[in-house]
Amino acid sequence: MTAGQNWQAAFLRQARSDWEAYQKTTELEWPNCQRLHYLQMVTEKLSKAFLVAGDTKLENLTGSHAAFVKFIRILSGNRNLQRALSMKKPSQQKAKFKALLQLAREIELLAPALAQGGPNPEYPWEDPSGNILAPADHSFPLMQRLQKTPQGIQLLKYIEIFLKRFEELFM
Amino acid sequence: MSQNHNPAGAAENLIQEHFELEPSLERVIWINPNKTTEIRLLEINPESPPTGSVLSFYFPPYEEFPYAMKIAEITPEEWEKILRHEIPLPNGWTVDNYKAYSRETVTI
Repeated sequence: MTAGQNWQAAFLRQARSDWEAYQKTTELEWPNCQRLHYLQMVTEKLSKAFLVAGDTKLENLTGSHAAFVKFIRILSGNRNLQRALSMKKPSQQKAKFKALLQLAREIELLAPALAQGGPNPEYPWEDPSGNILAPADHSFPLMQRLQKTPQGIQLLKYIEIFLKRFEELFM
Repeated sequence: MSQNHNPAGAAENLIQEHFELEPSLERVIWINPNKTTEIRLLEINPESPPTGSVLSFYFPPYEEFPYAMKIAEITPEEWEKILRHEIPLPNGWTVDNYKAYSRETVTI
């Protein structure tokens, strides 16, 4: 295997492990911050597994957390994926993925480096009133939207499909 | 998708389709068009979230499209910076040889 293939396999392996952890942190037993922390890590590593095969420089991969939105945007125009997801027309796929971008963006912004000192699932932050808040005490309405809205359910389903069928779809 | 039996035909079909699908796509840059083993595209779209880097995604060949594709989406400002060598391209990519397509230069 080449160095790039080794990196890809490692990112994919870790994304799958993070997904397993996400699925084990059930709603009733775990605070939303832990579940979202795992989910953000899944999406970042999944995107990077895809990027590392595209000649993207390794320093751009390790130094950036902003890859998932680009990943969803780029996927929206891919014909092979359209067939794999049984969508009839490219325009249907484009529209479907476009509807997921807002949630994808919110997941991406959970990374502390992108959260601009605001709510994130890992570190405490100060709100505009000067209160210091811990992620464990924050409700993270995003989790509810991921689980209860059609777009959220769809996005989680796609993440699972991409993880399970990565070799078939992207290698 | 027809006329995908050579890289030029395949790339131009793909570029045309992407212009059709994405109204905000401004330009597409086909990097190193003489390369016959894969198609590398920079898609310039002002709606793309700026990252200050070029994130290129790989798509394997498939039956109807027998060429590997590497596609990155960037903003117009990022393209200007690439031309000024302020943002590096992915490994092995250069702007020494490229073809630029706009909505006006492809038949839609």
